Amino acid sequence: MRLSVIRAYMRKEFTELFRTKLIVMVYLLPFMIMLLFGYGIRLEVTHARTLIIDNDKSHLSRMLTEKFEHSKYFNAKETQMSEAEALHRIKQAKEDAVVIIPASFEKRILHGLKSEIGIFVDGAFPNRAMTIESYIEGVVLNAAQEAGALKKGASGGLIVINNRNLFNQAMRDADAIVPGLIGLVLLVAPAILAALLIVKEKERGTIFNFYASSLGRGEFLAAKLIPAFLLHSLNIFILFLMATKLFDVPFRGSFVLFWGAAEVYILISLSIGMLISVITNRQIVAVVLTVIITIIPGFLYSGILMPISSMVGESYVEAHLFPVMYFNHIVYDCFLGGMGLSSAKTAAYLGILVVYALILLGLGTLFLKKELK
Amino acid sequence: MAALEVRNVTVTYRGRTGIKNASLEAESGEIIGFIGADGAGKSSLMHAIAGVHRFDGEISVFGEVYHTPKEAEKIKPHTGLMPQGIGLVLYETLTVSEHLDFFADIHSLHRDAAFKAYRDKLLHMAGLAPFTGRQAGKLSGGMMQKLSLICTLLHRPRLLILDEPTTGVDPLSRLELWEILDNIRKAEGTIVLVSTAYMQEAAKMDRVLLFDEGEIIARGTASALIESVRPYTYEEGICDKRSSTGKACFSFDKRSYTLENVDAAHAEPTLEALFFVNALQKKRTLPTIEIEAREHAIEMPPIVMEARGLTKRFGDFVADDHIDMQLRSGEIVGLLGANGAGKTTFIKMLLGLYPIDEGELSLLGKSIRSSEDRQALKAQIGYVSQHFALYNDMTVRENLLYFANMHRIAVPTALKRIERYARELGFADYMEYTPGELPLGINQRFSVAAALLHEPVVLFLDEPTSGVDTIARAQFWEMLHRLKTSWGISILITTHYMSEAEYCDRVVLLRQGRKVADDTVEALYRKHPDAKTFEDIFLNYYRSDA
Repeated sequence: MRLSVIRAYMRKEFTELFRTKLIVMVYLLPFMIMLLFGYGIRLEVTHARTLIIDNDKSHLSRMLTEKFEHSKYFNAKETQMSEAEALHRIKQAKEDAVVIIPASFEKRILHGLKSEIGIFVDGAFPNRAMTIESYIEGVVLNAAQEAGALKKGASGGLIVINNRNLFNQAMRDADAIVPGLIGLVLLVAPAILAALLIVKEKERGTIFNFYASSLGRGEFLAAKLIPAFLLHSLNIFILFLMATKLFDVPFRGSFVLFWGAAEVYILISLSIGMLISVITNRQIVAVVLTVIITIIPGFLYSGILMPISSMVGESYVEAHLFPVMYFNHIVYDCFLGGMGLSSAKTAAYLGILVVYALILLGLGTLFLKKELK
Repeated sequence: MAALEVRNVTVTYRGRTGIKNASLEAESGEIIGFIGADGAGKSSLMHAIAGVHRFDGEISVFGEVYHTPKEAEKIKPHTGLMPQGIGLVLYETLTVSEHLDFFADIHSLHRDAAFKAYRDKLLHMAGLAPFTGRQAGKLSGGMMQKLSLICTLLHRPRLLILDEPTTGVDPLSRLELWEILDNIRKAEGTIVLVSTAYMQEAAKMDRVLLFDEGEIIARGTASALIESVRPYTYEEGICDKRSSTGKACFSFDKRSYTLENVDAAHAEPTLEALFFVNALQKKRTLPTIEIEAREHAIEMPPIVMEARGLTKRFGDFVADDHIDMQLRSGEIVGLLGANGAGKTTFIKMLLGLYPIDEGELSLLGKSIRSSEDRQALKAQIGYVSQHFALYNDMTVRENLLYFANMHRIAVPTALKRIERYARELGFADYMEYTPGELPLGINQRFSVAAALLHEPVVLFLDEPTSGVDTIARAQFWEMLHRLKTSWGISILITTHYMSEAEYCDRVVLLRQGRKVADDTVEALYRKHPDAKTFEDIFLNYYRSDA
């Protein structure tokens, strides 16, 4: 390894990156993914259109109705229409849910008897339906609890529930999604850049300058990967600032841990790009291949859409094969948890990332040949 | 032991043999020329020697022996490779001086006074000293090749391997490239291996190796090789009698070749004769080219296309400056000029691909003004671009059908025409291959077929023969002549082979965007009595300060 040679080659890389304006992509792509996905994905439900049919018209039923009316999660309206009519409106997609309070609801409750509230939810989008259903249950339980508190002595069969959400008490979407996006962006963008930097030379023919000269393989790789590494290291800070300032995600853990893990993770991504550049000869193929290989696992197994722990069978195994799961665990811990390396799992995952990076880097160096195929 | 020894080297590319059992020796200061058709194995041998491709056999350079690219690492500080393709090793956005710095750095050269003097000397020899701040992407093809060469020379390699450095380069730049090379090998004692498609250049080498089908089939000094084919070379004209009797015979460049003893005057052979005699000896028959009249007979006016004062500017730069030109029916016009003289830009204006900044264009007597006019213009023109715009994932037949669809030719008509052209232009055997699998010469002929599917009145050919081997070029010109007479079509062709200019009915010469000559070849020879070849005439126009 001759440092002066690497420096000269790197100078060329930077000059080209700036003059070909590829540098714009280095920062625009992560920024756009963060912006589009960060605002685009909404898992929580607000303003669910809800009809309430109150057949009881008692003090308790009115209190329940008010609870719905005052919640930001519902656009609730009390109505006089018949049950059939109300359900028909769900069919027409004019309402999301219908809540039916039976006659003598208050009386039965006061006598400690069971009473059934009818809940009908539009199941066209199962996730959304389940969310609405659980919100409604929450409201009803909450009302029941208050009613119990008001009417002391009659609290017999009433349940006290405590449905606090850990880590994300505010139940904010941004908190759940944005840290995961960092794992996605830092997997996709550096890989594309690394693949492009090498394949570009193959496509143009300038790769001969490497093949036919005394330039070493290590020198060539260093000259290719270091610029990409440095440029994307800046993205760690940009993405961190976007998450905490733009999306107001809290940051409870150690920044040093987050930063260090992200740098290791970038190395992994660069190595994936390098491996792709070994098997492709065209820039367009390299980009498409990189996107397929990184975006799909980066998204599916990121823990954004569903927690890894709830995966079973193949998907559970696959999730453990890709690096994104390990990195995201650390990122979510840094943002929302704050346990840091005192958690054995986090420490182990950081170790796995380091091993991952070393293996991929080694493979890339092994497969890169200084000859034509 | 010779400075360079190649012993029984075989190279295979994905199962196909590139070169088989090649051996050669060279001493310091020698220039060795590789000639042969494309795919003959020249590049394969060069890649093996440069240590960029796996091979069987043994190579030793200055006493260092190697059998694999890995072992070849130790000689790489002393070798320079310039692979085939214009500006291939250059970075488009880097300037001339940044390139020199980069190549100096990756070879760990010390920037001492001696280096600076050598660098300036190279820049001066290449005529690039005034352009050190210009980006490589903005240089002309000739300048790019000169820059590539001096970048390869910068670390003073003792073995220099140049793969067709002059293909696609104009005659003046070619001459300059040769001067640089000759100076360097004399001053440095460099071994130079160079492949070329220009036989005048090969004649200047110390020794020439002739490649054919992956083997070196002849070697020796140019004059010895020329002597070997003297008995088979005759004045042009004997073939017409021969071919009627079915005997093998070729004609090209004022000469005819046959293996039989013919009672006719012998002509002075050139190295090109080697290719014809080799083909005759291997009993290769070439498809006969017969072209029938077009399906829809049309009355061709004497002047098919006319340009008056055509001008194109790119910012401050005037690419074409008030150019007048007439294209007449049944005439082949050669458009000549150095790289960057404005030939391609001019053709693109005639095609309606570039808007015209100034001047007037008319086709079949009708002035071209609106975009509908331009649309109609395209339906009358056939165009073969510099790099043959073919689709590599489709077979020849599928390519042709696609082009027929683009011209909205009914499928039955298109199929009939494709069969006919395949037969007439002699590529019927290759219909189910993809362009990537075929030699350039075949691709070139079927590109012309694609451009003729809609029976145009004018045909534009932009450097169709660059890199194509001699025999394929001879066939190509025969085809153009037959097309001209049976179709009455008007053909405009650009080329860097000055010997091909003599096949044109008229020659138009551009220099820095201006027309400097427009005359028949005979008239130009009369104007320049001391010119021995057309190359001399060309150089006269370029060297005089106009």
